[in-house]
Amino acid sequence: MLFLLFAGPNMALLVIFTYKPLMQSLYYSTLQWNIGSPVAMPVGLDNYVDWFTDPTTPGIVTVTVLFTVATVGGGMVIGLLLALVLNRRLRGTGVARTVVVAPYVLSGVAVGLLWLFVFDPNFGVTAALLRLVGLASPDWYNDPQWALVMVIVVYLWKNVGYVALIYLAALQSVPRDLVEAASIDGASSIRSFRSIVLPLLGPTTFFLAITTLLTSLQSFDIIQAMTKGGPLGGTTTMMYQIYQEGFQSGRAGYSSAVATILFVVLLLVTFAQVRYVDRKVHY
Amino acid sequence: MSPRPQFDLDRRQLLQLTAIFGGAAALAACGGPSVSSDVAGGAATDAATDWASVTPAKEITWWSNHPGASRPVEEELIKRFTTESGIKVNLVTAGANYDEVAQKFQAATGTDNGPDVVVSSDVWWFRYMINGQILPMDQLAEHLEFDTADYNETLYSDYRYDDAHWAVPYARSTPLFYYNKDAWAAAGLPDRSPKTWDEFTEWAPKLASASMIPLGLGKGTSWTAWWFCNFLWGRGGAYSDEWSMTLDSPEALDAAKFVQSMIFDDKIAAVAATDNVADFGAGLTACTIGSTGSLTGILEAAKFGVGTGFLPEGPAGPACPTGGTGVAISSNRSPEQQLAAGMFLKFLTSTESTAYFSSNTGYMPVRTSAQDSDIMAEVYKTSPQFRTAVDQLETTRVQDWGRVFVPGGDKELTTALESIILQQGDPAEAFATASTAIQRSYEQNVEPYL
Repeated sequence: MLFLLFAGPNMALLVIFTYKPLMQSLYYSTLQWNIGSPVAMPVGLDNYVDWFTDPTTPGIVTVTVLFTVATVGGGMVIGLLLALVLNRRLRGTGVARTVVVAPYVLSGVAVGLLWLFVFDPNFGVTAALLRLVGLASPDWYNDPQWALVMVIVVYLWKNVGYVALIYLAALQSVPRDLVEAASIDGASSIRSFRSIVLPLLGPTTFFLAITTLLTSLQSFDIIQAMTKGGPLGGTTTMMYQIYQEGFQSGRAGYSSAVATILFVVLLLVTFAQVRYVDRKVHY
Repeated sequence: MSPRPQFDLDRRQLLQLTAIFGGAAALAACGGPSVSSDVAGGAATDAATDWASVTPAKEITWWSNHPGASRPVEEELIKRFTTESGIKVNLVTAGANYDEVAQKFQAATGTDNGPDVVVSSDVWWFRYMINGQILPMDQLAEHLEFDTADYNETLYSDYRYDDAHWAVPYARSTPLFYYNKDAWAAAGLPDRSPKTWDEFTEWAPKLASASMIPLGLGKGTSWTAWWFCNFLWGRGGAYSDEWSMTLDSPEALDAAKFVQSMIFDDKIAAVAATDNVADFGAGLTACTIGSTGSLTGILEAAKFGVGTGFLPEGPAGPACPTGGTGVAISSNRSPEQQLAAGMFLKFLTSTESTAYFSSNTGYMPVRTSAQDSDIMAEVYKTSPQFRTAVDQLETTRVQDWGRVFVPGGDKELTTALESIILQQGDPAEAFATASTAIQRSYEQNVEPYL
């Protein structure tokens, strides 16, 4: 009874706002439903068959994988490097820490709109800088490949502060005596980083790998503000496709099927991380 | 060191998880659409209401995106309506553009939180109609004695399907040809828009310079497939004939190749990175195709003389689509609210209101009487560019169903056209891909509902 009293409200919220929509989405994925219509047709697994056989699917999966690998991998590496710098006792690190973390707390749409101007090939800062060294600006908005690079850069700029912040906290809990002992024994700083610091950061890396992967696969705001999935679908990730199909094309059933597929992918990747990567982490 | 997390489920945890999912599944069965293998005939009807016996509600809600930064104009019109009728209108910003309003309107279906009046753009009203979300206007308009014959015929016919009108025209626009008068003069060209695209291709080399591209084109959904109507229809092609896609016609392919030749061979046109209207205003392009709704903004921003003209003709003659938005009444509101909403729409699209709205935004007057009103005459005198859009109305035609009525139609066409204008893709291949997708969407999302 006491358990229900304390856990009940939280569980009720989870059921209503997380599990219910999840089950509902699963159910809608078996319908042909124009969003807004009071009636829908049962179509079984047709929406799934459509997605797997649609000629645009390979492109969307490729964009999703590239975006995820670049933002998760890039974010972890850059975040760790930033944390290592910020962990040093140098002048101005306090300000630098604030600067690095600040973009993370900004709204994604605001960040996207801001960077729209930065990347403008005619009036933007990047174009001006490239002109200084005699180069022409890439066609960020009209070339699908460059557009993907652009949204990855902006995503990293916004989110790398989070990774740096968590790594910084973890670095500060690394026992100094271990590093000092290694140093006395003649280990170089690279060696002691590789053999002492990095393994001790294992649980943090593991935690960040899961959380940044989930956030990256669900990212929407920057793409919506900057490219709307274009040009030519060059920045359409699965998450963005869910929005496009559900709300722009009104195909709620098909959109739910894509959402379910993405959910299963996330579940499997997280499961694989927990099952295999966790074994290699030293707690 | 932190304790190693446990991920193994014991029997009790498994039962708890099953209970949570089971409860969620039971809840999921509540709400949502009803399910049937026959979804036809979902559109609303207005036959049942005896409007003469209905008393109008005292308060209604209007969802708008304030097209053309028109919020103050809409507020003023609401104030005038409330003074005249005593009915309060709550103006709600339901999105930054037509798509956002539509997304909210569709999501609000089946709840009590929807609007009484909603802006319904050219690519959205049909979906509202087949979903049964909006009321056919004819009987209500007849009861309230709307002067529907005074609406511009093309603009009113845009909302006609199945012998009924599903909205009334409000913030309506067409694409317009904008040119930089200073650049024109420097090139020694006559102060007018080119009569045909062939004439433009003759003029263009004189306009080209290191810092200026002769023609700027825009991209993106709700835009690319709109301006392309001019090239497509002007060369005798069409996106579709009712529900059959016709993009495999030689005329359609010719139109695509013509645009490609301007961009890639002659290099007299370029696709803007973000905003072709902003590029034109900044003097990067000598001319562009923009909406009439952009007129006020362009006149304010440009530091050079701005000329406007009809869209150039193709070999098949003039070709100009209509666009913008109408306003519709929600079908799931009470007759009292619908009547009050009808009264508001009658006021909103009256001659005086139309002239007031058009003169302050640049959108076209949707009533013939407003086109010739004193207010508009004054506007034409101070800014003759406004007159061009109104005169061009004579050459407009209703849009092809494949673009505006099929869910995803505009998106598929935009992808095809972007492949053609950005990557010099093969028009036949790009159009075939789009046609297949649109045809499939029609079969899945429209045909069963009709």
